[in-house]
Amino acid sequence: MGSAAEQKLVKITVNGTEVEVPEGELIVESVKRLGLEIPIFCYHPRMKPVGMCRMCLVEVGFKQADGSVRMMPKPQAGCTLPASENLVVVTDSESIHRDRKGVLEFLLANHPLDCPICDRGGECPLQNNTIFYGPSTSRFIEVKRHLPKAVPLSEYVTLDLERCIQCGRCVRFTEEISGDSQLAFRFRGAEMQPSTFELTDFTSKFSGNVIEVCPVGALTSSKYRFRSRPWDLETKASICTECGNGCNVWLDYRSGKLVRINGRTNELVNEEWTCDRGKFGQEYIDSPERLDRVLLRKADALHESSWPEAMDAIAARFVESGDSSAMLVGPRATNEDLYLAREIVTKTFGSRNLDHRWTKNLPNNPEATAVHSRIADFETARAILIFGNDLSDEQPILYLRVRKAWSQFNVPVVVISDRATSADAFAEAVVRYAPGEEVEILTSLSGMVRGGGGSEDLKRASEILRGGFLLAASSSVFNSASGEATAVALRDLCASAGTPDGYNLFALGANEQGARDLGILPTEGGKDTKRILEACASGEVKSLWLLHCDPFSLYHDRGLVERALENVEFLVVQDILATEATLFASAVLPSCSHAEYEGTYTNIERRVQRVPRILPPKGSARPPWQVFCDLRLAATGAMPFFGPSEVMEAIAKEHSQFAGVSYSGLAGEGCVLASADSALASAGIEGGGG
Amino acid sequence: MITEIVGDVIRPILGGLSLTARRLRRDKATVMYPEEKRELPPRTRWRHVLARYENGLEKCIGCSLCAGACPARCIYVEAAENTDEERYSPGERYAKRYEINMIRCIFCGFCQEACPTGAIVLRKDFELANYHRDDFIYTKEMLLEPLAIAGEQ
Repeated sequence: MGSAAEQKLVKITVNGTEVEVPEGELIVESVKRLGLEIPIFCYHPRMKPVGMCRMCLVEVGFKQADGSVRMMPKPQAGCTLPASENLVVVTDSESIHRDRKGVLEFLLANHPLDCPICDRGGECPLQNNTIFYGPSTSRFIEVKRHLPKAVPLSEYVTLDLERCIQCGRCVRFTEEISGDSQLAFRFRGAEMQPSTFELTDFTSKFSGNVIEVCPVGALTSSKYRFRSRPWDLETKASICTECGNGCNVWLDYRSGKLVRINGRTNELVNEEWTCDRGKFGQEYIDSPERLDRVLLRKADALHESSWPEAMDAIAARFVESGDSSAMLVGPRATNEDLYLAREIVTKTFGSRNLDHRWTKNLPNNPEATAVHSRIADFETARAILIFGNDLSDEQPILYLRVRKAWSQFNVPVVVISDRATSADAFAEAVVRYAPGEEVEILTSLSGMVRGGGGSEDLKRASEILRGGFLLAASSSVFNSASGEATAVALRDLCASAGTPDGYNLFALGANEQGARDLGILPTEGGKDTKRILEACASGEVKSLWLLHCDPFSLYHDRGLVERALENVEFLVVQDILATEATLFASAVLPSCSHAEYEGTYTNIERRVQRVPRILPPKGSARPPWQVFCDLRLAATGAMPFFGPSEVMEAIAKEHSQFAGVSYSGLAGEGCVLASADSALASAGIEGGGG
Repeated sequence: MITEIVGDVIRPILGGLSLTARRLRRDKATVMYPEEKRELPPRTRWRHVLARYENGLEKCIGCSLCAGACPARCIYVEAAENTDEERYSPGERYAKRYEINMIRCIFCGFCQEACPTGAIVLRKDFELANYHRDDFIYTKEMLLEPLAIAGEQ
C-alpha cells in the first residue's frame, strides 16, 4: 500500500486513450482506470495470474520511436501482461470480439445447459460473459459430455464436475490464500477436474470461499443448495458475530429467513474472505431451540408470562437485592446492550458485581488486554509473533492476513505454541512449550532478544524478533494457569524488541473488545466472574442476571456453575437460544439474534461497526438494550432511549474513546476507536480529532 | 291525420319488428352460460396449470424463473432436491412449494414464456371467482395437473 506511491509510472495506450499506470500492473487491472472491462474467468485480483481461461485476450502492440505502432501478431492474455512504457492495448477490435466468442464457444461446448437448476444461475460470470461477449446461438449439436453431478466435497461444498470450466481459481485459493492446498487438479486436458487429494473430505477452515470464487456453478454450497434463486433474495450488509474479527458479510434472506452468508469486501478487515464458522455457522438464527416467549417460574415450573409481569418481578427482586445482585455478560451483545447493562447494574441495582470474562484467570490490569495494531498493519510488520492457541481457529481471518503478510510481503513469522498449529507450515521459527512453561520460555526469549545467550531452539526466534514485531495473541492465554504472568512476559518481550506498541491481546468473542472498552468489569470492590459464581453458590449473591451467556459452555468449572445456578435465589436468563442455564432460570427473557436488532459491535482491532435490523424478531423476543430501558423506567423513572443511536450518543459522551462516534458516521467501513491514552491526549491537546 | 299516424308510428314499428323477425332466423350469438360454454380462442390465457410429462412426473423443476419474470410478483417457488426414493420431476430439482396469488396475477403469460420446461401453462378455465381472499392463493396441489388426465391434452 505504502510502496504504491514510489512505483514508477508508465504511459500505455488503451483503445487510443493514453493513461499512466504503475509499471508492472496487469493490463486487466489497468483498463479499469478508464472504466473499461476485460472479461475474465480464471483471473482473480487477490491471486497470482495464470492465464488459463484465455477470456481476457487483448491485442497488444508497441509504439515505435517514429510514432508508428507495431502490433504483435497474436492476441495476448490481459491477465498475465504487465504494463510497460509505450504499450498499446486494444480491447475492442473486431478480431478480439471474435476471439472472445470463440473462447466462450469452447467453454460452453463442455458446459451443461442446466442454468435453471444451477445455484449460480442469475449471478454467474459465465452467464454474464456469454450474454455480453458470447455467440447468440449455439452450433453444438453433438452429445454433451456427462460427468458426476452433485459430488459432496465436504459437509459444506458440493462439486458439479460437468459445470467446471477448469479455471483453477479454487485450486489457487487453497494454495495461495488459505494455504492448506486441499484442492488440486487431477488428470489433464479436457479431463482435468479439481478434487481433493485421494478424494478425502475437503476439510479447510476456509472452504466456503471457493464457492464465491468459482466463476460457474461447479462449486456450490451444500447448505444453500436449491434454497433460493438470486432474484428471490433480499440482501443487507451486516457483520459476522462468530468471533471478534468482525468480518463484513452480506446476509441474504428470503421471507424473513436467513438463507446464506457471503463475504463483503472491506479491505481493512476481511478483504473479501469469510471463514466456514462465519459462513455456515449462523443457522442458530432460525433454530427451533430459539427462545421466543417470556417464561416465569411459578411453583417449580416455568410458565408463559408477559413482558410487563416479568419486568415487575425482576425489577423488584434486583433492586431489593442491591449489592447482592450480579450480572454476567456473554460475547454476543452490542455496545448499546453493554452500556445499558452497566448502567442498570451499577446505578439502578446499586451493585458492583459485573463481568464479561470467562477465562480461568481474570486479569486485573487493563494493560494486559491492550490492543495496539490494526488487522491491516500485519501486512507491513517487520515480523509477526503468534503466541498461544492456533490462530486459524481463534481468529481465522486474522490468520489469513498473517499468511498474506508472509506470502506476499515476506514478513517472517514466529510461532510459540504448546500445540501444532496451522501457521507452523510457513513460520520461520516454531517454539513449542509444555503447558505451564510459557512464562519461562518467554522470559528467556526476551533475554535473548536483548542480547543474552540461551538455548538453540529459541535462537532463530530471537533473531527474527529482535528488530521489533507485532504480536498476535488472544485472551485465551488467561486460560492457562499462569495467565496474567504470561501477559506480563509477552509485554516484556514486546518492549525488549523495542516495539511495546506491537503488543496485541485480541478479544475472542464478537463484542468482547466492546465489553473491555465499556468497562463491563467489577467496579471498585466488586466481584469478578469466579467470585460471582462462588457467591451465588454460597448464597451471598441472591439474584443473578445472565445476558447472552451460558456459563456451562463458557466457564471451565462445571461443578461451580451448577452449584451457583442451583443455589442462587433468583436467576434471570436473557438469551437467544435455550441453553442448559435456562433449566435453572426463575425468569427467561427471549432475546434477539444479531440479525434482528440494530446495534454496534467493536472488533478485535477496536473498529466499531454497525449492524442493521434485518430479520423480524422471533416471537416476543426483544433486544436487550430495550429491556434495560424499560427496567430503568420501571425502577427509577429514568427517561428511556428511543433508539440505539441515542444510546451511542450517551456512550460517546461518557467514554472518551468513543468521542465523535455517531451512528451516521458508522456507515461503510466503520470507525476505529482511539486508544485509551491517545483519546485522553487528543481530548486534552486538540480537543478530539476525527 | 290517419296517414300521419300510419307513416310516423305504425310504419317504423313494423319496420323494427321485421328487422327483429329477420334476425330471428340467424344463429344466436349468446350462449346459456353457465350451462353452456363457448369454445375460447386457442391463445386464451386464464388459469395456470402445472403440467406433467406423459409418465406422470412433474415438468416443473422449481427454477423460479417464472417468479423472476412475473411483473406482479405473485409467484412463490420453493425448491428441493429429488431423491431416488422420492422423485417428483426428472433431474435434481423440483418445486416443493409453488404458489400463485390469483388476485395479484395479471394473466400476462410471462411465466409461461419464461418457463424452460413448459411446466406452467395458462389454460382456458376462467371461472376464478371466490369468496375469501385466502382462497385465491393457489397452491401447488391445486395447480398441478391431476395424474389421471395427464397426457390427454
